[in-house]
Amino acid sequence: MRLTRKELLGGAAAGALGAAGVYELVDKLGDSPVRAAAGPRPAEQHLLAEAKLLVHDGIEVIEPPLHHQVVTARLGVRRQPDELARAQAALEKALRRIEERYEVTPAGLAVSVAWGLPYFRRFVPDLADRHLPIDRRASTSAKRPVSAAFDATRFPSDLSTTILERNEVAFLLRSDDREHVADGAESLFADTDGLFELTSIRKGFQGGGFAGGRGLPKEMALAAGIQGADLIPDGAQLFLGFTSTQRQTQGPSRIANFETLGLADVREGYFRGGTHMHLSHLFENVEAWYLDFDFRQRVDTTFRPGFEAREGAQTLRQAPEDAVSDADLKGDFRRVGAIGHSGSIQPTSRLHMDIKGTDGELYPKGSAIPQRADFNTLDNPFFWTADPGRDRHGEQPEAGLHFISFNPSSDDFRRNRLAMDGRLPDGTRLPLGQGSRAQGLNSVIRTTHRQNFVVPPRARRSFPLAELL
Amino acid sequence: MILAALVLVASGCALGDDGVEENASARERPAACPSSWKPGWQRLADRVGVPVYCPSWMPSPIDAEIGGQWNSDGVSVSEDKSYLAGFLWHEAGSGDVHVNLRGYPGKTAVPRCIDTTTSGGKTRRRPVPCFSDPQGTRQVAGKEVTVYTVSRDADQWHVTYLWRENGVLYTVSEHVAPPLTFRRVLQNLDRIVGGLEVIRPAA
Repeated sequence: MRLTRKELLGGAAAGALGAAGVYELVDKLGDSPVRAAAGPRPAEQHLLAEAKLLVHDGIEVIEPPLHHQVVTARLGVRRQPDELARAQAALEKALRRIEERYEVTPAGLAVSVAWGLPYFRRFVPDLADRHLPIDRRASTSAKRPVSAAFDATRFPSDLSTTILERNEVAFLLRSDDREHVADGAESLFADTDGLFELTSIRKGFQGGGFAGGRGLPKEMALAAGIQGADLIPDGAQLFLGFTSTQRQTQGPSRIANFETLGLADVREGYFRGGTHMHLSHLFENVEAWYLDFDFRQRVDTTFRPGFEAREGAQTLRQAPEDAVSDADLKGDFRRVGAIGHSGSIQPTSRLHMDIKGTDGELYPKGSAIPQRADFNTLDNPFFWTADPGRDRHGEQPEAGLHFISFNPSSDDFRRNRLAMDGRLPDGTRLPLGQGSRAQGLNSVIRTTHRQNFVVPPRARRSFPLAELL
Repeated sequence: MILAALVLVASGCALGDDGVEENASARERPAACPSSWKPGWQRLADRVGVPVYCPSWMPSPIDAEIGGQWNSDGVSVSEDKSYLAGFLWHEAGSGDVHVNLRGYPGKTAVPRCIDTTTSGGKTRRRPVPCFSDPQGTRQVAGKEVTVYTVSRDADQWHVTYLWRENGVLYTVSEHVAPPLTFRRVLQNLDRIVGGLEVIRPAA
């Protein structure tokens, strides 16, 4: 669907960009967190300036923005250098106009532009071959060069119906103020008249309950009539009841950049300061989670079997020194025949040794590498889609999660996700049945869509490589 | 809507939570186990040797007639005299309505169930509470019931109301499944437990 300005201002997709729909309620719920004043704009698009740290249940938590929106699109331009150059300038100008109005902070509005491999293949294939980072570790394993960004695949716990998407670009908008998100999305696509053929709009929220009250997930689930909404604990950051942004579970500083850990070779440096993004959507069976798993089992499943937790706790310690090792994971499985979600990922998602990054920072052993930006949603599976049949779009709200993770490479994300399914990097396959309770969270989630993207540095966020044609 | 409510109040009628009209005199009557259900519950009380509770109301379409069309298997009584009376309506594609009434004579602790998991070809069994994740207590018709949201065995996916009386632990649970929501199940359990009639063993 190619939008003209007129269509954009009046069409269904355009209306959906700023429309609240079921999310209107969030405007009536609680106040936005108090944020510090903005500092300098990060060179990385995926990093948020002035992320707030708070202490919850005695544990440091990063408070992400309350409201999120992802817009995916194909490009409405032809593969001609002059046309691409105009498009590049137009998008950059539109993004700068937004940045003139809003700081790149949770209190303002952060817009990140991520490019799908179909963009690189259709518009700049030769340049992409020369400039996209190479994953050193994956290349060593494969005994051939492996790009730091490759197409998403289905994982063992995915259904055959999981859609592997082919979007050319994705825009991630984040703010504490839903109006900022709506304004940013509307103005971005109005100012880039006709450049983008929207394929989907995805919206959601998280948090809002750290200072008390029910929090957005429970309030929104109740308002939408989600089965099991009453069972979500008051104040929960996410539908499943546990905080997921403890400071020590999020990759620090620039760790997820392609180049920081040396995991990827950024070659001539075009994508230095960039990263890889995995975007997926999954449905969550909230009712099953709370009626079929008691608190002890929810802790075992979310973290690790036997993990120490006070009854009813939502924010649990995930310190580097507590990180589960490969041997711990295998031991858990031998002992109880099950693995936990974060425990299963930690052997691959945490640093095994101190590493001094290329940015000069020391990243200590046990540090998390991925930087997650996931948020709950009532989309089914998207707020709006250009292809309702393919996406099995429904109007009835459903509980779910738009999962976003920034990792230094596709393979790095893949290793973590495979570990969640009991496939360990050393070749060990823990015999877990698809959807089994022994498989952590997998028994209550169902992934509908997946795609990998390249997030260039801020300076090269608009039609990357097009200026080199 | 307001007008309709006023008319109902003025006529001495109210809507039950299933939308069925009931009149004031019916609401004021003490809970009574229907005469057609009572013989079965009396036989159960005699068999287990402690008072049992017969509902005066059950969610549509089921009733609580032991041995009736919704309880074709009768009541299961264990060697320790604990019993399970289950009433089930099930229709493929539509959902089910399933209510269990239990009693554990001589026991007041939450019973243990066996949690069985199989992975890697190995089956593991471990004792777990049959009712867990207590969500607080509420007063229902003079009984202090504890609400449990996680239940096991025949009560899996049920919300359970549990109370203790004269050294006996009693539970009533209902399955949370379409067409019922969690909130509706709580309403149903309130109404079932609020309308129980005690049936004592014959001397």
